[in-house]
Amino acid sequence: MQVRNPHRSRLASFVLLAGMISLGGLSADSFAGELLPPEKTIEEVVDHYIQARLTTDKVVPAPQSTDANLIRRLTLDLAGRIPTVTEAQAYAAATEPDKRARAVERLLASPDFAYQQRNELDTMLMSKTNDGAWREYLLKACQENRPWDQLFREMMLTSDADEGKKAALMFLKSRARDLDELTNDTCKIFFGVSINCAKCHDHPLVLDWHQDHYFGFYSFFQRTYMNKRNQLSERTEGLVKFKTTEGVEKPAKFMFLTGSVIEEPPAPTLTEDEKKAIEKARKEDEDKKEGPPPPVPAFSPRTRLVELALKAEESRFFSRSIVNRVWARLMGRGLVMPLDQMHSENPASHPELLDWLTRDMVAHGYDLKRLMRGIVLSQAYSRSSTWNGPETQPHDQVFAVGLTRTLSPRQYSLALLFASRNSKSLPEDVLSPDWANRRKDLENHSQHLANQLEVPSDNFQVGVSEALFFANNQHVQNDLLNEGGDRLAGVLKTIPDRNEQLKLAFWTVYTRDPEAEEVAAISQYLDARADRLNVAWQQVIWSMLTSSELRFNH
Amino acid sequence: MTISRQTPSGLIVPNVGRRAFLGAAAAGAGAFAADMSGLDILKHKLLADELKRQEKHVILLWLAGGASQFETWDPKPGRPTGGPFRAIDTNVSGIRISELMPKLAQRMQYTGIVRSLNTRNADHGGGTTLMETGRPPEGGLDYPDLGSILAHELGRADSQVPDYVSLYTSTEGRHKGGPGFLGSRYAPMFLDKDVMPENIKRLDVVSELDHRERDDLRNLLSQRFARTRHNNSVGSHNSAYQRVRGLMASEKLFDVSQEPQAIRDKYGPTQFAEQCIVARRLVEAGTPFVKVARAWWDSHGQNFETHLELVAELDHVMSTLIDDLKERGLLEKTLIITMGEFGRTPQINPSLGRDHFASAWSASLTGCGIKGGSVYGKTDDDGHKVAEGEVGAPEFYATILQALGIDHEKHFTYLGSRPIPLTEPGTKPITQLLSNV
Repeated sequence: MQVRNPHRSRLASFVLLAGMISLGGLSADSFAGELLPPEKTIEEVVDHYIQARLTTDKVVPAPQSTDANLIRRLTLDLAGRIPTVTEAQAYAAATEPDKRARAVERLLASPDFAYQQRNELDTMLMSKTNDGAWREYLLKACQENRPWDQLFREMMLTSDADEGKKAALMFLKSRARDLDELTNDTCKIFFGVSINCAKCHDHPLVLDWHQDHYFGFYSFFQRTYMNKRNQLSERTEGLVKFKTTEGVEKPAKFMFLTGSVIEEPPAPTLTEDEKKAIEKARKEDEDKKEGPPPPVPAFSPRTRLVELALKAEESRFFSRSIVNRVWARLMGRGLVMPLDQMHSENPASHPELLDWLTRDMVAHGYDLKRLMRGIVLSQAYSRSSTWNGPETQPHDQVFAVGLTRTLSPRQYSLALLFASRNSKSLPEDVLSPDWANRRKDLENHSQHLANQLEVPSDNFQVGVSEALFFANNQHVQNDLLNEGGDRLAGVLKTIPDRNEQLKLAFWTVYTRDPEAEEVAAISQYLDARADRLNVAWQQVIWSMLTSSELRFNH
Repeated sequence: MTISRQTPSGLIVPNVGRRAFLGAAAAGAGAFAADMSGLDILKHKLLADELKRQEKHVILLWLAGGASQFETWDPKPGRPTGGPFRAIDTNVSGIRISELMPKLAQRMQYTGIVRSLNTRNADHGGGTTLMETGRPPEGGLDYPDLGSILAHELGRADSQVPDYVSLYTSTEGRHKGGPGFLGSRYAPMFLDKDVMPENIKRLDVVSELDHRERDDLRNLLSQRFARTRHNNSVGSHNSAYQRVRGLMASEKLFDVSQEPQAIRDKYGPTQFAEQCIVARRLVEAGTPFVKVARAWWDSHGQNFETHLELVAELDHVMSTLIDDLKERGLLEKTLIITMGEFGRTPQINPSLGRDHFASAWSASLTGCGIKGGSVYGKTDDDGHKVAEGEVGAPEFYATILQALGIDHEKHFTYLGSRPIPLTEPGTKPITQLLSNV
């Protein structure tokens, strides 16, 4: 197969390449002597390095957030929802010195964690599909806290014959018809690099190098295809050729981002007739409507890619990328930004921290839960998200302030469902079977709302269609503002005292007490509608649900 | 305070006031908006130009499935590939077009024709992506389509009307397009079922007063939250809600029955005609970009009967649209584009059809910024190849941008990521078609 794309030739990048060369040459251990010892806790290390930069930059960080705010943040990050009133008030009232660590363990052990983890990984890997089997596969993987390298192997190499796990192939199958997309997405999502960074940084001296890398990576997928039975298959032969910018045709090697090359063992010499017969048999099998998946070839480039990418001396792209992505999810921005630009011209805001966390990730078998636990126990994680100082707010990258983050479609949908519930109607113990059932129902229920919402990107801007939906859609009126007894609108009707009503509404929706100006504004609104208080309360709830405070993790 | 004016069709249209302009500047410049608040725009030529640019509009007539250049802008009468229709003179000497477009032939003074598009992709999906975004797709970067680009360039941050409306009611070839990396602020209001947008009408259970005042309450709560959080996404959330009531007020823009019967009669009774009336109403009220898709031009069989019907409709409706815009003084500020994903083959197949063809086809630009009565490029005698002036989608896009007064070499200034040029470096617009060079 010949790949020719003159447009792509300009994708070559000095910058990206420089990154590849230097990263490729270094293993995590190169920094070992300079890094904090591995036996320190993640939270200690995070705070050490974040504080070091604050000290250097002479920045005084924001104070720690309140207990109520922290439990909201933790619950959104680890459980994908807002806390119930009971959970939040219990946390605020608790006096044990280790109450935060206990709350984190409780959330990590709750069934909610796997849903949240699944939803986040699903968005990262497949932002635009909604496949049931795939989501079930991911959920199970998250319930078992399967290591990230194992998930990568499963997504790349599972056989269609493996009924239990074949849904893992969705990542590849959804992209198998566009190998450029498959190449790019794999590079971006798993290795934190994007060939597009090249575009603005032409460098004639390394142009061919870059093409070698791009088409080298592409080569690992070039024999992959889907047969008529929707099974993922791999041809036994096929090489990529490309035209260099000088117009010279060149065969691609099986080359990883680090520059390492896999040599294909010499194929047995076959006559033309034999080759034709093999291809004919393959083609016949490809067209069959039923039957087992074809066998994996003796030389499988895709298998070799996975082996190579996870080898200790090659795995820096893979391990750094997942650390950076988990960090970004919990802290509001990556240690390297953008997340797909992890090259040496684009250094991390805290290089030693990234190196330490990467080493820890590899040493502890790609345990995502471990990293998440460590980050959320740090002081850097729990800073207030407000900035009141007379100085301008410090740059986001020093993590002096808790960064305000747009909720994902699933988080926001679940936040809306929980915020519109009568908190008392929910089971109290998140480790109980009752809770598991209720959570599962709400998870399924959240699908409809989640479908209305865009997946946030960097510098996300909320679209007007979202606002129109919440302003005028029947579903919002009928579901979120429903006055049934298990709903907030329903329970408020039964409370005679205005202040009690307000307090419950604010704790349910915002996990805090109302402030004086809010009490005044809402009271004024209600008083003007004394003849139809129930309707007025529905409208107040609408205002609270659609205010920015619920839309963001802060 | 925004000052409004009454338009001939009775719509309240907010003028571009100082605050509105600064809001628009904020959409482009983000964090710098605060620093600009002290400037007097009238003293700054750059900003005054910016203001002017923002009054421009585009109506894209998307000929879904691929219209034949032979039966429209580039007839080859008497040639083996020419088909049964003749060419006719237009009111611009030397320019001849298909006899299926007699009305447009009498309005050639407003139109520039490109006859030399070679876009290389004759697949519906690939061709659509290429012509919708103006560049080949590139893995890893999701480019905005023309509507989103122009909503971003021409729209106002606090616009009370939608800034990108896409009408695509037929199912054939339907494609939503979208804002790509520009983000959902610039997504189209996509009307695929009805000309009336979803969620634009207030529910009866909420009174008009309550609908407004509960939103005031929401705004108060949001503002309190945003006060101490310096974050663009938070700002965009409140902005989106602040646009809701304006958009709801624009509901009647989508209601064709608001248009005088005499005008509706001129356009005719077809759905395409009604959608073009809606497009004009939107443009008149300030919407920068409206796409009206007409399907289905994919005439693999019976090409000539298909074109007899579709071209006649295009000829009539587009001519009426030109006249209507002209009468309202809007044609100078509105660019009408006709294009699809590709053209059709010179060869006439055994089903009397023409197949997909991207190597030598035509598109047209009418109105704003266009040197009317001009033709750019040439195909060979039988229309197999471009003979002169070959251009692709990027050059066509550069021409559109320049016609609207937008520098095609500038970069998208979307926040936080690397700058991306509107067109690839080195792309040249077709200056021969531009009136403003």
